[in-house]
Amino acid sequence: MLKVVNGGIEILVEDWPGRLGYMGLGMAAAGAMDNLALQLGNLLVGNALTDAGLEIAGGYCEFEATDTGVLALTGADMSAALNGTPLPLWESVAVEKGDLLKFSHFGEKGFRAYLALRGGVDVPVYLGSRSTCLFGSYGGFEGRKLAAGDIVTAVKDSSAAGGGTSSVTGRKLNPKYIPKYSNIWELRAIPGPNSSPDYVTEEGMDYVFSSPMKISHNANRAAYRLEEVPDYFWARKDGGKGGSHPSNIVDHGYNMRGAINVTGNTPSVLIADGPTLGGFVCVANVINADLWKIGQGIPARDKAAFTLVTVEDAIEARKERNAMFEADDLFLS
Amino acid sequence: MNKYGVIIDTLPPKGGRIEILFRQAGDGFIQVEYGYEQRVELLDSFRILAADAKIKRKNAHGLIETLPSLRANMIHFDPTVLSPQKLIDMIKEIEESIPGVDDMVIESRIITLPIAFEDSQTKKAVELYLKQVRPDAPNCADGYNLEYMAICNGCTVADIKHMLLNTEWYNSGCGFWPGGGFFWPLDPRSKMNVPKYNPPRIWTPEGAVGIGGACLFTYTTATGGGYQLFGRTIPTFQFAMKHPMFKDGPFLYRPSGDRIRFVEASEKDILDIHEHVHDKTDYEYQIEDGELVVKDYLEFLSRDDVAKGAADFLARQKEGAKAAPRL
Repeated sequence: MLKVVNGGIEILVEDWPGRLGYMGLGMAAAGAMDNLALQLGNLLVGNALTDAGLEIAGGYCEFEATDTGVLALTGADMSAALNGTPLPLWESVAVEKGDLLKFSHFGEKGFRAYLALRGGVDVPVYLGSRSTCLFGSYGGFEGRKLAAGDIVTAVKDSSAAGGGTSSVTGRKLNPKYIPKYSNIWELRAIPGPNSSPDYVTEEGMDYVFSSPMKISHNANRAAYRLEEVPDYFWARKDGGKGGSHPSNIVDHGYNMRGAINVTGNTPSVLIADGPTLGGFVCVANVINADLWKIGQGIPARDKAAFTLVTVEDAIEARKERNAMFEADDLFLS
Repeated sequence: MNKYGVIIDTLPPKGGRIEILFRQAGDGFIQVEYGYEQRVELLDSFRILAADAKIKRKNAHGLIETLPSLRANMIHFDPTVLSPQKLIDMIKEIEESIPGVDDMVIESRIITLPIAFEDSQTKKAVELYLKQVRPDAPNCADGYNLEYMAICNGCTVADIKHMLLNTEWYNSGCGFWPGGGFFWPLDPRSKMNVPKYNPPRIWTPEGAVGIGGACLFTYTTATGGGYQLFGRTIPTFQFAMKHPMFKDGPFLYRPSGDRIRFVEASEKDILDIHEHVHDKTDYEYQIEDGELVVKDYLEFLSRDDVAKGAADFLARQKEGAKAAPRL
């Protein structure tokens, strides 16, 4: 129902929770970078939380509706316009054949926008998910980002599509549930598996949890690279059998998505398409409830600020998130 | 526990088992680590895979997946369904049921893979590397990697080929790249060791067989990479899942102790098989079911000829490593 007129920087088909169950076979979960925006978009158009939508990084793209339908735009504000009129975020709108949807680019806050289509984006389910793994070129729309001329359709036989469109058109998210965007992204994190005292000094861990770190220009769907940690970070001289640098370790599975992985002195948050296994330490893990923020960080501009929390806090945050999706006042009636 | 402490539970050493550490790794991850020391011991991997098979068989509600590696297993779970402590208790109970090596028997298929040494495609990868990445690479001095591998191990190119063909290679787990396994020689007399490319290659063909450190890898798809190349084998992965071997998933290897062994073939044979896997989808893979009885394996290692052969090779390898140019 949407034809890509201009592919902009990067448009991908992604769902949530992505392709789980294949890490042990070398396949990352992929999935939406901002799962919260995608899931709220899905609810706005009456979809299931797990349906696939379009992830738009950066902007500069344009679509034409090839059919009538309902969509919702969520995530970062990219000054999108429908037939020249500003398109509101966080609410569902009906589109007609021939409508033009044009995105400018990312602005002050946030880097990724999401388009949810009523019914969910229809691409083949590959190993349990419709998500694109861009780094492995599989899943999603032919394993690649969308380009001019591609047509994405909604799933016709979905439970959502059967219910007509009038009931969800104009559905608005209660403003109190609109996620808070920033330029310093507070990421709650849990230390481990490699931490103080055996791998990192206590001062090194203090540094991680007290110093906002600038996001590198080289931040993508596999790794959000951050600025270097100081040399006093390391509690050991080398990686023993794992290699010569203290960031080396005998190859181990990564706590992906959300691992804070350090290679040399460069930390990266491994996300979506990231490596599932490798020979570098992982000093902490961004909690599941905060994974959505990572990909909203604007490369070469925003910062990541890690906050120390406990596993109990993190489990509570997951439950709160699940409860929010069920809240009676999620939408303005 | 200090505020950054992550070892949330342990299981003390017992019999032949080293201490097991349960490391917190997030709200949906626990790493089960075998011992404190960074060591490379297949015995640790045998134990991990023996336990991993039992963990999977439990089919615990809330367990999402496991990611075994050489000396650790990363467990991914949903903590709103399965509590971390319940998960740890389950793994402890499983570990207690396999106290010693006598109790370790791993399901382990033997997959036979034909290989063409120094075929034109992997040769092309080396040529491209010399042209685009590092023209003076000492590991490609004669246009390929086998000569360099021989120098590193204090032996001849014929020895290198012989060592590859003369052992079974054991998969300690899959990861890093879709469908790729990490293979280790079961015969210590074949335990070659070579540095990785520095910097890595930009392109490697599907089916390339390479080695980095002591670990062997068969490239499941065309990609970059840093392992020294032997040649090319048949497809070990198929995204499209067209061939009956791949009807349930694109993977040939299982993350569970598969063994591979190589037999020498011509490049024409390899190309034919690629066609019969990907286009005609009628190639018959040679796979035998089997098991790896750890006790028998330890007896093999302690045989005089094996122990002496391994020690002799290690000595030559040490001299070779000194003589080899660094990368």
